[in-house]
Amino acid sequence: MSESQATSLAGVGVERVDYIRIPVKDIEEAKHFYGELLGLSLDPNSPHDDWVEFQAGNVTLAVMTPHTHEYEFSPLPPGAIALRVRDVAEAKAKLEAEGLQVNEMWDSGQCRGAGVKDPSGNPILLHRRYAPYPDGTMP
Amino acid sequence: MQVEQVDFVSVLTQDIARAKQFYGDTLGLPIETEGESDLEFTLGQVTLDVFNPASIGQEFEPSPAGIAIRVPDVAASRAELEAKGVQFDGDIVDTGVCHFAFFKDPDGNQLMLHRRYAPREH
Repeated sequence: MSESQATSLAGVGVERVDYIRIPVKDIEEAKHFYGELLGLSLDPNSPHDDWVEFQAGNVTLAVMTPHTHEYEFSPLPPGAIALRVRDVAEAKAKLEAEGLQVNEMWDSGQCRGAGVKDPSGNPILLHRRYAPYPDGTMP
Repeated sequence: MQVEQVDFVSVLTQDIARAKQFYGDTLGLPIETEGESDLEFTLGQVTLDVFNPASIGQEFEPSPAGIAIRVPDVAASRAELEAKGVQFDGDIVDTGVCHFAFFKDPDGNQLMLHRRYAPREH
């Protein structure tokens, strides 16, 4: 066990993120956005028609409709999910070619990002760090 | 286009010192980087970014994402958090495949303790 894992388990036993809910108003248009446009793989064993799970590499995104789960829809706040892409400009151009509006790309000096919204208004950040981490490794 | 992974997930805070205490001390997450208005924690396999939007003139909004945090035992972790003063929303739910319990951070961001106990179908 690494030092960081040992530290983590010293708390209340946090192991990992099992999933993150993405609240949407319409499952079909969300499936098109996350599955077709972003190209995430849909878990064929998603439990229900109103709860579909997409794999985004290390994290499962649970796209679901709050109105069928007894609470009201409200979108995620800005910057809630940053998805790593190979090239932010390339990903922005591809989504724009599909008719989506993507915000201007920014460059922090360490990474680039560009925000886009899913059909329900959830902000998704297309993100790529290009500077090495403090330990010298690259993303 | 190919999405490689989730680089980070974010929640917003109105009080970075209070958030540091909650995520760092109460939940016990290791800190990756620390700034005046921005903290990064290791939340298992992904980075949790906690950010004060007032620092860039933006409004605070609590997140309804309900980040599902895997713990070995939902009841045990819930009891530990309750002993530290964290309030939960409702009882532990058993869906038939997993246990979960909802709670919020001090800013009202929705979080969940989660443990699947049934094997995956694939």
